[in-house]
Amino acid sequence: MNRYEPEYFKTLAKQLRFSLSDEEARAIADEFGVLLDQMDLLDKIDTEGVEEMVYPIEAETSFMREDEVGHTFTVEQALFNAPRQANDHFVTVKVVG
Amino acid sequence: MMNFTQYKAKNNPVEAVNLAVEAAMKANTKLNAVVTMVDPGEQLNRLDQYAGGKMFGIPIALKDNVNTSGVLTTAGSRILGNYVPQYDATIAEKLREAGAIVIAKSSLDEFGMGGSNLSAATGPVYNPYDLSRMSGGSSGGSAVLVASGVVPFAIGSDTGDSVRKPASYNGIVGYKPTYGRISRYGIIPYASSLDHVAFFTRNITDAAIALEVLSGRDDRDMTSLQLPVEDYASLLNPSLEGKKIGILTNVLKAITNPEIQAHFANLVARLKEQGATIVDIEMNQDLLSAILPTYYIIANAEATANHSNLDGLRFGVQKDGKEIDEVMSASRTAGFGKQIRKRFVIGSYALFVENQDKLFRKAQKVRRLIVEDLKHALSDIDGLIAPASAGVAPKLTDTSMDQLSSTYLIAENYMVMGNFSGYPSVTLPMGYCDGLPVGVNLTCKLYDEQTTLNLALAIEQATGLADQIKEVA
Repeated sequence: MNRYEPEYFKTLAKQLRFSLSDEEARAIADEFGVLLDQMDLLDKIDTEGVEEMVYPIEAETSFMREDEVGHTFTVEQALFNAPRQANDHFVTVKVVG
Repeated sequence: MMNFTQYKAKNNPVEAVNLAVEAAMKANTKLNAVVTMVDPGEQLNRLDQYAGGKMFGIPIALKDNVNTSGVLTTAGSRILGNYVPQYDATIAEKLREAGAIVIAKSSLDEFGMGGSNLSAATGPVYNPYDLSRMSGGSSGGSAVLVASGVVPFAIGSDTGDSVRKPASYNGIVGYKPTYGRISRYGIIPYASSLDHVAFFTRNITDAAIALEVLSGRDDRDMTSLQLPVEDYASLLNPSLEGKKIGILTNVLKAITNPEIQAHFANLVARLKEQGATIVDIEMNQDLLSAILPTYYIIANAEATANHSNLDGLRFGVQKDGKEIDEVMSASRTAGFGKQIRKRFVIGSYALFVENQDKLFRKAQKVRRLIVEDLKHALSDIDGLIAPASAGVAPKLTDTSMDQLSSTYLIAENYMVMGNFSGYPSVTLPMGYCDGLPVGVNLTCKLYDEQTTLNLALAIEQATGLADQIKEVA
């Protein structure tokens, strides 16, 4: 028996701004059991007192650069891939009443 | 088919590029490796200014997640099916300045999220050794273009083992350097803490030259290392005298294929003959078994966040909707393949507040323990080796492996350690099983590209398998 119903994954997908077909949601529900079994392997490992590893190299690589203009885009370049544009702006459907 | 030195000696870039373009178009009818052919005319016209470059006149391919100004760049996804970048990735600039000529943008699993190349929007990439088998992924297009003799070099990216596994399946070299060694500026991401630019060649000397071209600090990539670029090629030294190589026994125990075991045993015997000291290294089995779920949680969670900007509003393919939410949902539903939507759902699950401690943070802690165990394993040796996969390239329809077996969890997925740790790691050919290539993987200490290349060259000399090519009829 699946630990989550297909509807659960449809709800997750909706929050991520896409949808799943009935068939896709069922397939994920079927597969999820194996994934959860794999994730359970983490429980075997004692991580008490261990700090999270966020990046592989923890040496400092960031820096303060001079406050100079560099690597800029023109308006035309910025809008080149815009699906819709007008008057140097991106155009979307109306978002306020 | 030539190596870098032979291309340079011949010094006829126009002929080399034309031959490569012709070969790419012919091979592509069988391999389905190319997303976009790139017109080399303009690059050839301005090639003179790069005379003396380390890759002068060499035709190459770029994985289609490398931004190339004015050239369609899809990342293997429908949602970027019309995306034309307005700038070059740093590596595209570096390769151009070294004199390389891009002839093709190559296929990949959608956003690099896969190991089969079956999720590419343009369809599967086929293995040149057996067209009924997969190329491996996610850098499958680049792998088969090098393996089939079309180009001697191609860029890939490696988040799990996306260069090193296809290298094994296609009988070529797949090199993943230390994290941060090569700039990722302009690479469409998958999972930022794991993504590496990596590449394919057909021999280790070419890999050393390419690493010199690609490496170096880039202020536009905040994870770029502040280390000088060394003369990797001229410093190549395959001597194994005084070198100690570890065998990762957990992987060998998890492999059931006797031919792969035999090829590996032969290689180890030859490395001993060449003067290497060989020692067994056993890592913590529970940690190795946890590599795949740890990867799955971290990679999918990072991917879910990284790709939230793909909404069809500012770039990419847009679908209609009455409200902005509808536009985003329709664009993302139509734009993402089902495998990728599945991964985003898993990533989102791991990031839920109620799951963050149990899954996401737990995975980040386990990652640290795995890296510490790897560091310990490498502390007294120069490099760690094991077969790069448990078998040959699978059939396109093969989903038979038990996903809770050690063969799957360890032998098929241990190379992800190289991404968790950022350590340099390379796969190169080890032999053939029924005519299909299998590779050996080598991982070395953080930052130590030279030892990685030196030991890899020694392995290449031991196997005699440099410059392997499988042309498709």
